[in-house]
Amino acid sequence: MTTALKPTLARCLWTTPLFAVIAALAVVIVRNVLGMDPVVQMSTLLTFAYIFGSIGFIVGIGGFDYWWKWIIGSDIDPNDHSQHGAYSWRDYFRFNTDHKVIGVQYLVFVFTMFLVGGMFAMIFRSELARQGSEQVLTNQQYNSALSQHGAIMIFVFMVPVFAGIGNYVIPLMIGAADMAFPRVNAISFWMLPIAGFIFLSSFVFGSFDAGWTAYPTLQDQSPFGQTLFQIGVIIAGSSSIATAVNFLVTIVAMRAPGMTLFRMPLLVWSNLATSALVVAATPFVAGAMFMAMFDREMGTNFFTTAGNGSALAYQHIFWFYSHPAVYIMVLPGFGIISEVISTHARKPIFGYRAVAFSSAGIAVLGFSVWAHHMFASGLESWLRVPIMISTLLIAVPTGIKIFSWLGTVWDGVVRMTTANLFALGFIVAFTVGGLSGVMLAVVPFDVSITNSYFVVAHFHYVLFGGSMLTIYAGLYHWYPKVTGRMYNEKLGRWHFWLTFAAMNATFFPMHYQGLEGMPRRVSDYAAEFAWSNTMISIASFVLGASTLIMFYNFIHSARHGKPAGNNPWGGLTLEWMLSSPPPVFNFPVTPRVIGGPYRFGEEGAKHAIIPEVEPAEVEKVGA
Amino acid sequence: MKSIKVLPLVIVSSLIGAVVAVILIVTRTLPTQASAQATNIDNLYIYFLAFSGVIFGIVLIVLLVGVYRFRARPNDTREGKPIHGITWLEVLWTTIPFLIVVSCGAFGWYVLDVDDVSAEARKDGQNVHIVGYQFGWKYTYLNQEVGLQEQDQLVLPVNVPVRFELTTNDVMHAYWVPAWRMQMSTTPAQTNHTSITPTQTGEFEVICAFLCGVGHTGMNSSIEGSIIPKVRVVSQAEFEQWVAEQKAAAEQSTETAQTTDAAA
Repeated sequence: MTTALKPTLARCLWTTPLFAVIAALAVVIVRNVLGMDPVVQMSTLLTFAYIFGSIGFIVGIGGFDYWWKWIIGSDIDPNDHSQHGAYSWRDYFRFNTDHKVIGVQYLVFVFTMFLVGGMFAMIFRSELARQGSEQVLTNQQYNSALSQHGAIMIFVFMVPVFAGIGNYVIPLMIGAADMAFPRVNAISFWMLPIAGFIFLSSFVFGSFDAGWTAYPTLQDQSPFGQTLFQIGVIIAGSSSIATAVNFLVTIVAMRAPGMTLFRMPLLVWSNLATSALVVAATPFVAGAMFMAMFDREMGTNFFTTAGNGSALAYQHIFWFYSHPAVYIMVLPGFGIISEVISTHARKPIFGYRAVAFSSAGIAVLGFSVWAHHMFASGLESWLRVPIMISTLLIAVPTGIKIFSWLGTVWDGVVRMTTANLFALGFIVAFTVGGLSGVMLAVVPFDVSITNSYFVVAHFHYVLFGGSMLTIYAGLYHWYPKVTGRMYNEKLGRWHFWLTFAAMNATFFPMHYQGLEGMPRRVSDYAAEFAWSNTMISIASFVLGASTLIMFYNFIHSARHGKPAGNNPWGGLTLEWMLSSPPPVFNFPVTPRVIGGPYRFGEEGAKHAIIPEVEPAEVEKVGA
Repeated sequence: MKSIKVLPLVIVSSLIGAVVAVILIVTRTLPTQASAQATNIDNLYIYFLAFSGVIFGIVLIVLLVGVYRFRARPNDTREGKPIHGITWLEVLWTTIPFLIVVSCGAFGWYVLDVDDVSAEARKDGQNVHIVGYQFGWKYTYLNQEVGLQEQDQLVLPVNVPVRFELTTNDVMHAYWVPAWRMQMSTTPAQTNHTSITPTQTGEFEVICAFLCGVGHTGMNSSIEGSIIPKVRVVSQAEFEQWVAEQKAAAEQSTETAQTTDAAA
């Protein structure tokens, strides 16, 4: 077999265009048969070409090979592990079913997207650096840049980055050999580069410029790129749903013997809650995107004014996902913080059960707060007070977590590693985001400043000060496990302090800009905001540059770092009992969990043991 | 140093937080309060700053002191105390935030209620229909005695409650007057409502707060070179005079149009 026929990226080079062309031809034929005019309608043709081209890519990479063989009845081996594990760097660039390889694939890909999304932010911050309109970008380009920044950061960075970390760590933490559905897992990953490509390729067709929320009817006026935004979100959303199902089944069914629910590490708890959220909520955004896409490309009237559609309905459906999405983007981070703080402060998590239940509480309450994005949208007026109250209540479980982490630090032995610095910095920054969140929950205050820079400041404190710092904490915490080498602590500290300072310098003044009357998503502003915007732009460039320190540190240390050994941090959870990096099939013998995950300070306490022989045999011997 | 007790530390840090909150409250830089509603909303903001300062002070100072006090020395192999929780403390830090958010909810609900002057405006105030379009606003005065159509500038009498009906001709916009602390969107295919009582005369910025296309930035009277007229609040007498002028101008232009028609 030549490489062009084997399941490789090379095969994608012909399957993708093949599927796209077939779909395009089918559209032309159908339009011709139905006598529609014009027969060659570019936007319809491209819509189908993109959707089927995406399927062609998955076919090309080998996502369906195994099932196809099963369908046509050829010989398949359920224990076929030929696609499993990485033995050379090439194995990272093919369809791979090993959760550790997929985890690394996720992280490398999403961080590439993070750089791209960050670059868009730098581009529009350079427009905002000086007062005046259309200095660097036209207004159309400006709107495209801010929409791309939002879409990329949310759909192909923030949501999947936690799937990447979870993929690597969770099967190890629960003592499983892999995820429950390894092939689905691999397909989930390969959908993301497609989504990223679709977002960026929209520039060929005028990009999308209605913001990442893309409300109708503004999105009806956008060029064809807007349809690509919808296709990209649908694909990224599908990836997210498939991964969540995978996590749910893995966590519920594949825990090592002895790992009861309340012996699960908190990262596992928070991913369980998050996955339940994703499975229940993400179909809503996919639905909203399908309906909006049908409105644009097929002449339906879900949200258009001309056909008596309801533009407000889009906002309801969109936010019914997109608010839970905020928790999807931060709950796994809470889990990371619990792991990092307890391990680096050498102390059990304070109030383990309260922290675990608060994740579940956030996941449940998270469904009742979506309409707080719509207080000034002409929402049904009776809904405002109930939504205000549920939004306020969600601060309580979040507060429990913050205070529990403080309680964990107290009386511990706090090691100031980079991972821990990020975790502690997160507590401070996230408290700011949480407090401004409480303010914004209150209807009359919200309608006085919504859609202003106050809101921009709030959600960047939540997503950068919150999620992003947890991601950094997690990366530094598990880096030795993934690569087998230590990162450079000194560079890590530089990264933390620069990022933390620049983040506050960038986002804190935005609160004041909003309160004083600067609306969001504008390319020019009144003279009174001139100096603060210049300062923010400079700080944002420092923030962007500070991430490069981490990339250098990680890339350089992967080859030249000190060998890490199995357990550089003295962690008790299962992943630290394995070699770094772990063996291809994880545990040679299924571990047995004998206690809680954070038994620091107890003499000789263990979370788990790895028996010398398979537990099944132990039981036989015991009988 | 060894004898730091938690309770005194929490008290001291909440006091420091309170001082910071007072500084933030005193130095707050909000737009002028040009409506009755603005005062209520700013009171909410002051309340938020007060408890936010205390909570942030506790979190930050307890964290910093804890990290310093319990820091690991080089090659420290000690472990922390195996404390898995203290129930009364956990109950306390669940209850207090709960009470705070409930108070926010109650305060917010109250302000929402008293800020709504639409009933008064319907009875004996002004009623104005605002139409958003790409890229500007048109105002139609719904009260019969005013009866002005499609004005470019919003002019209102001071101390008279106003009820706004907002619609759009095209996409979503949001009508934001920061000095009134008032924002309401114009959502396609529906009519939105809000109300305000202007209490200060003068000219105020009006801003489109919702992304509405390439002209969104310019739909803001505070931008240099913007063609959007500011909102103008005047005395009752001036308002009546302005209405008369506008009516005269409107009649004149209709007459001119009729004469042109006749000539043609």
